[in-house]
Amino acid sequence: MIELKNASKKYRQGGREVYALRDVSLMIKKGEFLSIMGPSGSGKSTLLNLMGGLDQPTSGEVFIDKIPLHGITDNELTLIRRRRVGYIFQFFNLLPLLTAAENVGLPLLLEGTPFSQVRPKAESLLQQVGLGERTEHRPEQLSGGEMQRVAIARALITNPAVLLADEPTGNLDSHTSEDIFLLLKSLNEEGQTIVMVTHDPKAAAYGTRIITLKDGALSQDLSIGEDAS
Amino acid sequence: MSIKYAILGILAEGDLHGYELKSNFDERVGEFWSLNYGQIYSTLDRLEKEELVTHDRQAQDKRPDRKIFSITPQGRDELTKWLSTPVTKVRALRDEFFVKLVFMDKTTPGPLLELIEKQKVLYLKHMNRLTHRKVALKKEADSLDALTTELLMDAGLFHAEADIEWLALCELKIKAAIDPKE
Repeated sequence: MIELKNASKKYRQGGREVYALRDVSLMIKKGEFLSIMGPSGSGKSTLLNLMGGLDQPTSGEVFIDKIPLHGITDNELTLIRRRRVGYIFQFFNLLPLLTAAENVGLPLLLEGTPFSQVRPKAESLLQQVGLGERTEHRPEQLSGGEMQRVAIARALITNPAVLLADEPTGNLDSHTSEDIFLLLKSLNEEGQTIVMVTHDPKAAAYGTRIITLKDGALSQDLSIGEDAS
Repeated sequence: MSIKYAILGILAEGDLHGYELKSNFDERVGEFWSLNYGQIYSTLDRLEKEELVTHDRQAQDKRPDRKIFSITPQGRDELTKWLSTPVTKVRALRDEFFVKLVFMDKTTPGPLLELIEKQKVLYLKHMNRLTHRKVALKKEADSLDALTTELLMDAGLFHAEADIEWLALCELKIKAAIDPKE
């Protein structure tokens, strides 16, 4: 599904080389709900961005569905990103002038598909995330939790191979966060592969597998269900 | 002590035999509190002496009489008073880990840092299991009883999270103490 082989990412900082990610090898299987934990600066978001093709490793390789993300053209990479990866962010990143349904349909609208064709799927996804009554609302008319639901529906409209979530509830209260995690969990139980970055153990605990990063390297890899002690 | 009030709380809902009381107790608060029959019966004894609980005898074929326990009006008053009073004693810092922390060598902190790491993993696994049980519970049940269980599971998760964050802070402070430049 997603595979990283010895992926590293380094920056030059004041003449010194700094590793954001150091020699990470990782295989994410279809249907997994992987939580990536670690303190800030541990390389979590860099790792997520490599998986989604938003960033390239300085050495090593990344594959999505066995397709390498290196040695391909920018156009090909854009297409893979748009078609195989769904992204949700801490600050939702919705367009304020568009309705919920238009926001959800955006990835397809950008490819030139007319809204009339996109609308039924956008509305059914909004229904699925519990916002069937909110399709015509604009972001400012929605609560934080509702905005994140719209963002989740938008991430799902291309039937992505993987849903990548970067601190998806960093901006929400405990109760609303729990509803978002329950939604992600139920999507995962229906087969959606999810990778979530979080510093919050309560969030990470929803995963079927939890990895921990420390100074850019993999430090723990806990697969759940194996150890019932 | 809360065992006393848990027993009063259970009997306030209906009269019960000793073993029924024990299984009810296990089901409702067993997650946090394990009790043996000895403790149940000695607490019942004490409650009877305080006239908060009383019992009736029920004859059985070929076997000794069974005691059925019930709560007295004084017992109900006592329970109501207890339920409406906030808990003044905050959670005691009595974790076994704290004792280890006291006796671990801080001058060569390698083993201590390893212990902290293992302890963090343990809490994380615990949170993971608890979260999955909570998700399963929310799917099957939607009664007020399930709500209580869910809230108590939440408490377990928040406490474990606090422990993990505290352990991460220990790690940083111990490292800083050895190498102040870090």
